[in-house]
Amino acid sequence: MADKVSSKIDIEIPEAVADDDVWAQFRQVERITLELTQSYKYSLGKYSRFFIELEKRRFMATGCPGCNKVYAPPRPLCANCLAVTDWVELSGAGELKTWSVLHFSPGSNDDVRALETPYILAYVLLDGADTLFPHLLKAPLDQLRFGMRVRVAYNDGPVQHPIHLMHFVAD
Amino acid sequence: MKSATPVVAAVGSTKIASEHRGCNIRDLMTEAVLNCLADAGMGDLSAVEQGLASYESDHFNLQMTLGAVLHDTIGMIPKPNVRIEGGGATGALALRTAWAYLQSGLCESILVYGCEKNGRGVSSRTANQLFALSADVDWEMMVGGNYTGFYAAMIRAHMEQYGTREEHFAHVAARNRRQAGYNPIAQKPMDLTIEDVLNSRPVAEPYKLLDCSLLSDGAACMLLSSEDWAKAHCPSFIERPRVNFVATGCGTDTMRLGDRYPHISNFRAKREAAGQAYAAAGISDPLSQIDVAELYDSYSGVEIQAVEDLGLAASGQGGPAVADGAFDLDGQLPVNTSGGLLGRGAPVGATGILQAIEIAQQLWGEVDPRRQVKDAKRGMTDTHAGIASISVVNIFERQD
Repeated sequence: MADKVSSKIDIEIPEAVADDDVWAQFRQVERITLELTQSYKYSLGKYSRFFIELEKRRFMATGCPGCNKVYAPPRPLCANCLAVTDWVELSGAGELKTWSVLHFSPGSNDDVRALETPYILAYVLLDGADTLFPHLLKAPLDQLRFGMRVRVAYNDGPVQHPIHLMHFVAD
Repeated sequence: MKSATPVVAAVGSTKIASEHRGCNIRDLMTEAVLNCLADAGMGDLSAVEQGLASYESDHFNLQMTLGAVLHDTIGMIPKPNVRIEGGGATGALALRTAWAYLQSGLCESILVYGCEKNGRGVSSRTANQLFALSADVDWEMMVGGNYTGFYAAMIRAHMEQYGTREEHFAHVAARNRRQAGYNPIAQKPMDLTIEDVLNSRPVAEPYKLLDCSLLSDGAACMLLSSEDWAKAHCPSFIERPRVNFVATGCGTDTMRLGDRYPHISNFRAKREAAGQAYAAAGISDPLSQIDVAELYDSYSGVEIQAVEDLGLAASGQGGPAVADGAFDLDGQLPVNTSGGLLGRGAPVGATGILQAIEIAQQLWGEVDPRRQVKDAKRGMTDTHAGIASISVVNIFERQD
């Protein structure tokens, strides 16, 4: 006989409950599957120019006109001075400061779901920047060392999220 | 209305588990609240003036305005209610907020109730995706980063800077899971050797499976009040040593690890939070002046970084201090006697409350003798969100 509830996983009815169980009448359990999927019209906001320039194989950061700090990833507003920053182009070369080797993917988007594990999450100090940029580093695991030189490598996609128009490689 | 140092009137929780198949989120919260009422020796909540709901995620719990739902479920309508969220620090931030409500004189009694279903309701892949939403979505999540990876990059920097070793943090993983065996509500007690931890499968190197804390379902509840209110309404209060919630501190840090460069091996927010709490509690030498502590061991190495940032070990000396047993049950300052996030479990909105319950019960002298710290007079909780973008330190004292 077909189940009357299409999403039903199971029903559990205990054979016996303890005499002193105050919840004795509530020990039946039905479980169902709930499916919710959402998609968002998502604005990249004041970060947008970074991603537009990536399509042109240019790596952009922002610099504060007040304290001269250079942010990569960019900040439109300097958190030190609350001054509006200026876009500056960096060479894309830099130094590996720390990393992790990930053996599972969080599946954040199609590009991440397509990654083969293990993959390297790298924190790179780009030449001319004052902060570390987090991204994938595609390099042999046995080559990794603190301070190794790396650079941005670009691709022409198609990618789902524009951050994947780049990754790091050994320089 | 009047203000005074808040006291812990009563506590309650559920068992912490990877899945409570027979309970939805309301059922879990109900059970913890009823346990708290039983602990107080109270028949109902009619005397309690204010509710405070503590939970992190609308996504995991599949219910927005859950605070209102829970407040209704436990019959506190029409009294005032507020919901507090602070990522992993939610429960501790909830208690801190309750402290401020009581100190301000806005109320004399407040029920802090926290819960989360982070267990097997969703796959661990979905769980990681949902948790990654609490990172910087634009820059960290979309490249394929996740929290295990961020923490792993931090401890790798700590290893490079100070010579911290995998064996050091494996000690935390083994010790906290062993101590969970003395806690009846713990999710996953295990007897492990250092080698077992080192040989577990890599998740985000250098962290391995057994270095990672648990995904949990559970709920916890703490009734805080003035001393006068507790004496008037809470029969168990006068039977116990009085435990005061004496101080609270809170610090913050950048969302992204990379923005902290060159300081990427430790938690500045913890230093800030601890500094405030110690000053307020009159603590100048925390290692000798604190008797028991629950530290936020979301990953085993985090406890090593935490003992440094909380001033319990010198910078860079956390690893050797931990491995030498300084923070074991028979060490100078026993930590995570409950089993911590690694062994007891971590239903996010309840975690900080569970930590505070462990400290209160330690100060009352009511926990299993195998994990009871003898004559503990002062205890601390350390709780943070993200990679300590928010950090909260709360301090409790027994007043004899």
